[in-house]
Amino acid sequence: MELLTQSYLLLQKDLRLELRRRDSLLTMFFFGTLLLFVFHFSFDVAADKMAEMAPALLWLAFLFTGTLGLAQLFQSERENHCLDALLLSPLDRGALFLAKSGFNLLLMILVELVVMPLFWILFNLSSWNLLPQLFLVTLLGTVGFCVLGTIMSAITLRARARELLLPLVLFPLMIPVLLATIRCMETVLKTGTFNDAAPWLRLLFGFDVIFLTLGVLIFDWVIES
Amino acid sequence: MRLTVKKLAKAYGFLWALKDLDLDLPPGSFVALLGPNGAGKTTLLKLLASLIMPTAGSIEFDGEPISRNAPKSRAQIGFMTPADHLYENLTVEENLRFFSALYKRHHSSSAIGAALEAIGLAPRAGESVGNLSSGMKCRLSIAKWQLLQPGLLLLDEPYGVLDGKGIDLLESFLQAHCAQGNLAIMASHHVSRALKLCNRAIILHQGRMSFDEAKQQPWPSFARAFSEFLPQGESWNS
Repeated sequence: MELLTQSYLLLQKDLRLELRRRDSLLTMFFFGTLLLFVFHFSFDVAADKMAEMAPALLWLAFLFTGTLGLAQLFQSERENHCLDALLLSPLDRGALFLAKSGFNLLLMILVELVVMPLFWILFNLSSWNLLPQLFLVTLLGTVGFCVLGTIMSAITLRARARELLLPLVLFPLMIPVLLATIRCMETVLKTGTFNDAAPWLRLLFGFDVIFLTLGVLIFDWVIES
Repeated sequence: MRLTVKKLAKAYGFLWALKDLDLDLPPGSFVALLGPNGAGKTTLLKLLASLIMPTAGSIEFDGEPISRNAPKSRAQIGFMTPADHLYENLTVEENLRFFSALYKRHHSSSAIGAALEAIGLAPRAGESVGNLSSGMKCRLSIAKWQLLQPGLLLLDEPYGVLDGKGIDLLESFLQAHCAQGNLAIMASHHVSRALKLCNRAIILHQGRMSFDEAKQQPWPSFARAFSEFLPQGESWNS
């Protein structure tokens, strides 16, 4: 309970700071929609072919957009040595992990809520009825991205070229999440149900639970080493 | 409140920043931590604050070992560096509220208002910390630690950006802090100010403790020990 109270306090602080600065959210929105327009002008394929490519293209956009958000994740703590102020306090480091993951998740969800319908509009896709299911799958993938991304963002926090290092460390580890999410979305788009996507969903859910638990347990070591 | 340090050492690669440091501070101790640049003062403060881990040795505060896994002992330690450890985009009041909640010291609005009044920042309570001058940020840090009430307060060069009134505020806060049986360790190059307040002085040199004595009046042994760190041609008048 204490862990959740502390996480809420930190999350509240991060949201307040983001509302004032709007750095991360605006950059992510702009970059996400920009990528969609680049895809739109680059691919001249039929709508049915595009439906097959949609999950991979969408996740490419989410991956790059999310990495931008992750690079900014500890920005407020880097100023004025505020990370030291947090580490000095009696705060449970697991709460810091939960708050940062939750904050990045919120930003990603907001971006996805705009980018996904925009993708359907730009590529003239007809499967609007499947968007809620696809969004649920995307949500599971985004949780995985955010928890692993927060751990990696903390690991590279004190690195000199952290903006370059973060994607190099994160992307290979993201392969299971990417693969499972894209395959799952493809199946939902083809069949219209989750039935055939069950193994991928289990993989995604397992990944989320494992890395969420791992993050809470090891963040103490990660943030201080 | 008692601080016990045994055989404390910290190495950065092959360089010993601090070696074989023993310390026992009874309640109410106010230590002036002195020494030339690179002597290990900030390293010692960071070790005591558990912001870095020692290479060897142990630190105990009130019988409890200080480590990164001990949130209870961390709640008892404050680290004041001028104009640091404050969120620039939160307001003055929000910073105090946030850190009070983090330390589970839930202060009423009137208590926070009174703390701000005392440091002369009440009219700017709703302003972003980023708009404040360094001296004002340092005053805000004083209010922050006044509200958080740590048992051990570590200060790293607190005088640097403070004006005359700010120095008075800091010194009266530190005197009240130690009068309650709490501990304070202040690293400073403002030797005369630090010596006026403290009841014990420690001189670090090349990572080792070269002097550790309770305050005396006059203090010839301190004058002798400190003379080698003074600019050429100057002497210390104890």
